[in-house]
Amino acid sequence: MASLKILAVDDSPTMRRIIVNTLKRAGYDDVTEASDGKDALAKMKVEQFNFVITDWNMPEMDGLTFVSQVRSLDEFKDVPILMVTTRSVKDDIIEAMKAGVNNYIVKPFTPETLGEKIGQVLKSVGRS
Amino acid sequence: MMDKSIRVENSTKNIHAELRHLADSISQIIKGIRVAQEPIADSRNKVPQATEQLERVTQQTAMATHRVLDMVEAITGRDGEIETQMKELRRVLPSTYFRNNSRVKRIVERIGVNVSANQNDAYAIMDALQFQDITSQQVDHAISLLEQVENRLKDVMVGLQLDVSAESDVKRKERAYDPNAHFSSNSNEQSEVDKLLHNLTKEKQNN
Repeated sequence: MASLKILAVDDSPTMRRIIVNTLKRAGYDDVTEASDGKDALAKMKVEQFNFVITDWNMPEMDGLTFVSQVRSLDEFKDVPILMVTTRSVKDDIIEAMKAGVNNYIVKPFTPETLGEKIGQVLKSVGRS
Repeated sequence: MMDKSIRVENSTKNIHAELRHLADSISQIIKGIRVAQEPIADSRNKVPQATEQLERVTQQTAMATHRVLDMVEAITGRDGEIETQMKELRRVLPSTYFRNNSRVKRIVERIGVNVSANQNDAYAIMDALQFQDITSQQVDHAISLLEQVENRLKDVMVGLQLDVSAESDVKRKERAYDPNAHFSSNSNEQSEVDKLLHNLTKEKQNN
């Protein structure tokens, strides 16, 4: 099991809690929460994370803007990002991939899907 | 000469009658507008009440969901403790104990199976609670539609020169939601996304 410091970004406290619990169950104990893109960027600037899980629809700064901003900054451009959202329209997925997400999960998700996707992302960036 | 003056007089009478008719119609329209004013203003004033009620639905559902999450976390925490205690039991008992006590062995194994099943069920409950995020987005969408209706009613009132001074008391918050959010337990949706991701990755590699 890779040791990961994960940042979970979602405006819904319910979803954050479910994601944190699901990650803990999968063996990922080091998880920090952020309530939107702005909060997440602020946390990334003071702490080093090596995996980000983000929602799309959030106030202040949405997930897509957050991903674009992360990718535009040299220090974060290689951080693996997994988007977990209700948006399942083809054009949205294409847009998210163009913005720089490594993989994409549609809510509601199963713990198995989350575990598999984290594994796939880590493998794709050579960290499995 | 005589005929001409009669024709002018008749025309004047006709015009007069038409003007009176027009005045009556305008008067009727004004009465109609006055009658319409109340329901339009009333409908507009009720929108904030409706949005407030919908907000409360989201808040109460979130509270109930968190209460369930508290309990699920307590259950999984206790199950984890039982698993640790059972491991401890196996560690402190002599290695021959279970071999010589097959009935106790069966009971301990059964406890392990039940604990594991309880944990799986508890996590399944937790997964199902994702509905709360999805329904809150659906409610946010409904609230946004109501706010649009409120704005249009206001425009109608301004157009009819009615009193629009009564502003909504509810401070409008920024809403971030997916208008198409839906709760689907269909795993095909993720499979379709995965197919698309696979094709996009392939295309990227080929370019």
